Order: sequence, then C-alpha cells, then structure tokens
Amino acid sequence: MSGIYFTTMAVLVLAGFYLSSRRAVGVSREASAGSLHSLPVYHGLYTAALVFVPMLLVFAVGAPLLDRIANSAALAAFPSSLATDELHRGATLRDVYNLAANQYSGAPSLELQNAAETLKSTLSLGRWTIFGLGVALGLAGFALGFTSIDKQFRARNRFERFVLIVLFACATVAILTTVGIVFSVLYETIRFFFDPSLKGRPTVTDFLFGTEWNPQAALRADQGDIKTAFGFVPLLTGTLLITLIAILVAGPLGLFSAIYLSEYATPRIRAFAKPILEILAGIPTVVLGFFAALTVAPIIRGWGHHVGLDIASESALAAGVVMGMMIIPFISSLSDDVINAVPQSLRDGAYALGATKSETIRNVILPAALPGIVSAFMLAISRAIGETMIVVMAAGLAANLTFNPLDAVTTITVQIKTILVGDQEFDSAKTLAAFALGFVLFFVTLVLNVIALAIVRRYREQYD
Amino acid sequence: MDMSTVEHAMLTPSATSAPASGTKVTARACNVYYGEKHALKDVSVDIPERSITAFIGPSGCGKSTFLRCINRMNDTIASCRVTGKIEIDGQDIYDPALDVVQLRARVGMVFQKPNPFPKSIYENVAYGPRIHGIAKSKSDLDEVVISSLEKAGLLKEVKDRLNDSGTGLSGGQQQRLCIARAIAVSPEVILMDEPCSALDPIATAKVEELMDELKANYTIIIVTHSMQQAARVSQRTAFFHLGNLVEVGDTRQIFTNPKEQRTQDYITGRFG
Repeated sequence: MSGIYFTTMAVLVLAGFYLSSRRAVGVSREASAGSLHSLPVYHGLYTAALVFVPMLLVFAVGAPLLDRIANSAALAAFPSSLATDELHRGATLRDVYNLAANQYSGAPSLELQNAAETLKSTLSLGRWTIFGLGVALGLAGFALGFTSIDKQFRARNRFERFVLIVLFACATVAILTTVGIVFSVLYETIRFFFDPSLKGRPTVTDFLFGTEWNPQAALRADQGDIKTAFGFVPLLTGTLLITLIAILVAGPLGLFSAIYLSEYATPRIRAFAKPILEILAGIPTVVLGFFAALTVAPIIRGWGHHVGLDIASESALAAGVVMGMMIIPFISSLSDDVINAVPQSLRDGAYALGATKSETIRNVILPAALPGIVSAFMLAISRAIGETMIVVMAAGLAANLTFNPLDAVTTITVQIKTILVGDQEFDSAKTLAAFALGFVLFFVTLVLNVIALAIVRRYREQYD
Repeated sequence: MDMSTVEHAMLTPSATSAPASGTKVTARACNVYYGEKHALKDVSVDIPERSITAFIGPSGCGKSTFLRCINRMNDTIASCRVTGKIEIDGQDIYDPALDVVQLRARVGMVFQKPNPFPKSIYENVAYGPRIHGIAKSKSDLDEVVISSLEKAGLLKEVKDRLNDSGTGLSGGQQQRLCIARAIAVSPEVILMDEPCSALDPIATAKVEELMDELKANYTIIIVTHSMQQAARVSQRTAFFHLGNLVEVGDTRQIFTNPKEQRTQDYITGRFG
C-alpha cells in the first residue's frame, strides 16, 4: 500500500517538474513583452515542491494516526477491562493482527474474529482515505504550481524560500532531539527522586552528597529491608580523578605533538605522522580497555612494587593513562589545525623582531590559537568523561571515595552501564538511578563547557 | 669620489671597489633561488646609511626577495637558497657564526599588510624589548614603549588606550603600530615591504611623513609599487626587472634622466 502511495507521489512530482518547466519554456516564447522572471527549472521545482510536501505530510501524519484508530476499533470488540491491563492488551492485539494476516494458530474465538474483521476493514478504509487525500492534495499542488506559471511569477524566489524552510527544519530536528533527550532523562530522574510508589528512593541531598554508592544491595523486592545507598560523591570523584589523569597525560603529549607537527616537522614527516596519530583515534575503546588491563596495569603495578607501593591491579592510574592515550588524537589533531590557521604574517612579524621559533610559538602563536586549543581540550574532556569501556576493564567497579590514583575507582558511566545491563524492571529505584546519574553527567559536562567558553572569551586574542 | 664612478661601481656585478663612505648595507653578486626558480640574479648594490632607498619594479621582479635577504627572512622558506655576499657595516650576515636572531634585532621589518599581534597596543611594542632584554625594569620598558609610539607618531592617538587590542586600530594606525614595534628594539636598518599598499591616501601620507622623520636616525629601505611614492620619499632608487638590478642612482636622476632604456620604459608606464 505504501509502495503504491510513494510510486504515485514520485510520478506526480516528476510530472509536475517536467510539465511545469516545459510550460514555462512555452510561456517564455510567447510574443508578449518581457522575458521570464525565473528560469524554467525553477517553475518546475516549485511545482514539484508543491506536490511533494503535502503528500509527504499526509502520509507522515496519517499513517501513525490510522494505526491508533485501527487498534482502538479492534479492541472495542473486547470487554473494557482489557484497556487497563497493558500486558494483556498487547497480547490480544498481537492475536488480532495475526488473525487478520491469517497466521493465527488454533481456533479463534468469536470476539477475536470480529476484532480481526474490524481491524481489516478499518485499515483498508483508512489507507484508501490517506491515498485519496494525498493524491488530491498533490494534484491541487500541481494545479496551483502549473497555473501560476507566468512571466512575472517569481518561482525562483518562492523556491528559495522553500529551500530555507527545509534547511531550518533540518536544524530544528537536531535541536529538538537534544531537548527530547534532556526531557526524557529529566522525567525519569524526577520519578527517581519524587515518585512516592518507588521503594528505597533517596532524597536529592542523599544522592548529591551521599558518600556511599551501593545500589546493588537490594536485588529483589523481598529484600527491601536491606539498605541501598545512592551516594553520588564517590562516582563523581572517580570520574574526575580518571579524567584528570587522562588530561594530564593527553594535554602535554597532544599539544606538544601538535606544535611539533605544525611548526617544526618537515612536510614529509608531517604527511606520515599525522595520519598515524589519527589512526589512534580509530582504535575501538574496548581494545584500549584490554591494553590498559593487560599491559599498562601490570607495568604500573611492577613499578609500584619496586618503589614499595602497593597498587591495586585495577587502578585509576592505569585507566586514566590509557584514556589519555585515547584522547591524544583529539587534542593533537584539532590543535594542529588551529595552529596552522594562525596567519603566517603573525609569525613573520615575530621573526622580524628577532624572536626565536619557540618564543614565537609561546608568545604569539599559542595565544592566537588559544580558543581552538581550549575547544580541543573540551572535546577531549567530554570524551574522557563519557568513556566507559576502558574504565570497566581497567579501573573496576568498586565505588571508593578516594583521590588516590593507585586505588580502584569507578565512574558515572560505568555505573550506568552496570545498572542497566541485563533484565531490569523500570519501577525500581536501582534502575531509575541510572537516569539520575545520566542527568547529573549531562549537567557536569554542560557546566564544564560553559566554563571553557568563559575562559575563551576572557583570554582570546582575536586576529582577523 | 665622483658620483658617477660610484654608480658605475654599483652597477657592475664584479665591482670590488670599497663602498662609498657611510654605506650601511653592501650586497655583492647576490643570487636567490626558490627551488629551481632563479628569483634574483647577481645583484650588487650599496645602500647608504641614514637615508631612504626605494626598490621599484614590476611584480615578480625580485625586489621583495632581495629585501627579505637583508634580514634573512628568506630563511623561513624551506626551498629558498641564497648565494653571494651581503654585509652590514662590513659584517657578513650570511656568516654561519652569526646569530640570525641578533641580526633581526638590528634589521627591523614592516610588512605589506599590517600584522600587529593580537595583543594590547602596549604589549605589541613591548614584545621586542622583552625578548631581547633591552629594558631592565618596568619603568624602562614603559619608557621604551612610549618613546617608540611617539617616534611612530601614534602616541597622541592611543595614549589613553594602551591596553586595548592592537587589532582594533584602523589600518593606518596598525601599520604605524608595526613601525613602533620595529623601532622599539632600536634597529639600525628598517626594511619596509610595500608598507602603504593596504592603506588609504591619508594614512599613506602619515606613514611617508614618518619615514621622512625616521631617516635621520635609521637606514630605511622601502619596496614600493608606487613610483610616486618612491619619488616622494626616497633619496636613492633601485629599479629591478626580471630578477636583475637594472639601475640604481639618485632618485631625481632615475626619474628624470635614467641611463637604461628599460628604466625609462618602466617609469613612463610603457610596461609593468
């Protein structure tokens, strides 16, 4: 059915384009004074858009609407008690659909047969309505576009406006997606804190300032008397600790390699080294994770052993160092680009004053490239905060409240993953805690971004 | 020494005669190659101190290339190779033992497009003295900055906003800021690579006036596309064509009575 609809649509759109541009050519040849305002192709495009948009809208709105109407029509045959029982309703609906498609095994009840009939007739009526409405509107658009062809008609300007609307709609989709994500997470977070039917939910203060994280304690409803703990602080410190180690590793390495690549390296070395650095960005984090757990962690442990330190086999240090490796390419590649974008005239100006290469880089190039470098760091930090796999494999799951990089710690993302893996009920405090964590994580990165933006505004040295 | 003999000596690449008294920069058989391209051919010239020498000629004639040899800015171009000899006060500037950083402190440069650093006006001028350790204290530095801005004729316009960004000034002010920046390290020679080509006539007049004042203390070499400008500001003019130094002499003589046919054709607008 939808196949026929879209074929008809394609035919109408193409016909609209072709016939309108043909007619526009014809109009332009008429004897009356003046030439065509818009090229024939714009008249064609205008008509095509007038056909395409209404037909697409009719389908996009009509199809889901029809499903709802058909479902409720089919269920009307059953007793009303069904409507309140979500699970039972779903099962019945599946039976109805199966019967309608002749895939029902066993003898259907009379009710079920009736429902299947209703479903079939509603769906077929609805589909024909959609088809009829769509084609009618498409033809109307066609007629409107076709008849308005005229020497004075500004099809080009109108089509430009149509393009503008399409572009705006695309931008809106991205924004709405962000808003949608925020609200869905926010909704579950609010449930987590304020839903009275939820057992074991913490207060906001307990969550934000609690120093103990142990959501696994109460696994089943009958263990409700076991105290669960939703103290967010150890997760935050773990996340910040690992991120800090990662930045301490990746910041200097990434920035210095960017400076080397952009200012000192010969073109041959650069052509060779830059792609290799970027390959590092393509390594799956799970691979980096076992590199951390199997290679880096034992090395660090060995060093610690020599200097008399007892280092846990899963340590924040190992995870942080490898995470630093992971984000080097973000810092080096983006910084390299912004350093290259600093105009040569600034370098010349410094050299002509007798500045050495490193003086020029320190005093002129880096300050000029600062906004870009800060955003490279911000991107890297966001990646580090959001990284899960390396921490799972190398830093463990123990929510220790510590700033000691040699201890095992855990991060927000790891706990979200741990909570949501496996079969979960969505009405337990434990599951909903993941959403609260997600929301706080989002908030933390937002704050970091705002701070970075403020830093850039304050210290930026703007060249034109 | 008879002037015409001096000029003859300057024109002849093989000339080995001692430079005229008061000569600041001496070039002998100077060649520049950009990779395979022979950009400057066998140029020999003497540039007198405390005066303005103008390099003129059509685009791509090698005048900027030669200018950039004098403070070794061509070093920053990987494919560039310089042969021959350039001396400042009798010292070979391509001597491997010479520190290019110190050379550039002695030979300042102003570029075609104003290129102030994206820092405050004060920091722009203070940058050179800072990296060369010229000022001993903060008050010394203040003094250097103020006097450089004063000499560049910019002080009156910016004295209330020394902490504003240098890039916020107008084009002409930016160029004078760049001149102040160059003066701040007390160079002996100032190279100017088409310093007015991005400026309007009023800003140009100010820069030219400034050059006229500066020539009392500095040796100035200016590359210009404007023959009027060369005639207005310079005492001596050198005409370059296709990488050759065609003719050099007193500005008045070059513009009124050139010895070479090519110079005549260029200044009368027959080519270029």
